[in-house]
Amino acid sequence: MTPRLAVTLNALGLYGIALVLVAAFVFQVALQELPCPLCLLQRVAFAALAVGPILNLRFGPRPSHYALSLLAAVLGAVFAMRQVLLHIAPGDPGYGSAVLGYHYYTWAFICFAAAIVLIAAILLFDRQFSAPGDAPRLGLFEKAAVWLVIGVTAANVLAVFAECGPSVCPDNPVSYWILQGS
Amino acid sequence: MDQMILFLLFAATMLAAWLGRRALAFGLFGLSLVLSVADYLHHATDRLPLSF
Repeated sequence: MTPRLAVTLNALGLYGIALVLVAAFVFQVALQELPCPLCLLQRVAFAALAVGPILNLRFGPRPSHYALSLLAAVLGAVFAMRQVLLHIAPGDPGYGSAVLGYHYYTWAFICFAAAIVLIAAILLFDRQFSAPGDAPRLGLFEKAAVWLVIGVTAANVLAVFAECGPSVCPDNPVSYWILQGS
Repeated sequence: MDQMILFLLFAATMLAAWLGRRALAFGLFGLSLVLSVADYLHHATDRLPLSF
């Protein structure tokens, strides 16, 4: 795998992360379901997953950048698995709506597990690390991926403030903090 | 608010990485990750309404 191909794959990863975060927003608004603190922590882990690819785009692929993504993916999988286990008892309908048969946290666990496997797979290709220190030349495709994921993360800052305000999010949120005064 | 701060920290980490401040990005990432674990430990024992 050439450094150029690795950069393109990292940009695609950023688009994937942005897609997951945007989809969570769409379901939150369309189904009028407020994310719980554990759900929000899984979104935080998806945002953390994006730091490694951004470093790879800016400085070129390095194992240490992939290590950051692996740490974020493992943490996200722990968060998601905790929520899966909270609802694993027979008869428990789960938290929120199911999408294609699985709840969001189950999909989140699958995504984080897939990320761990994909990052491990991409680390197998040593040729991408052949020119350390050479910052890759980026096109619009890669730059747009970075700004998209930064924008979606910034939007999450506002969304969490709208939901929880200046205090700790409730365990089982039922209304937006910002709408409670109206 | 706790998750808002985490999102803010990771957004700052991404910006630091993109603007070429690699060491700062690594430092912010470590700090954000530790705070995420602390927040998780706080919420892992949340009382959830059982629906069965």
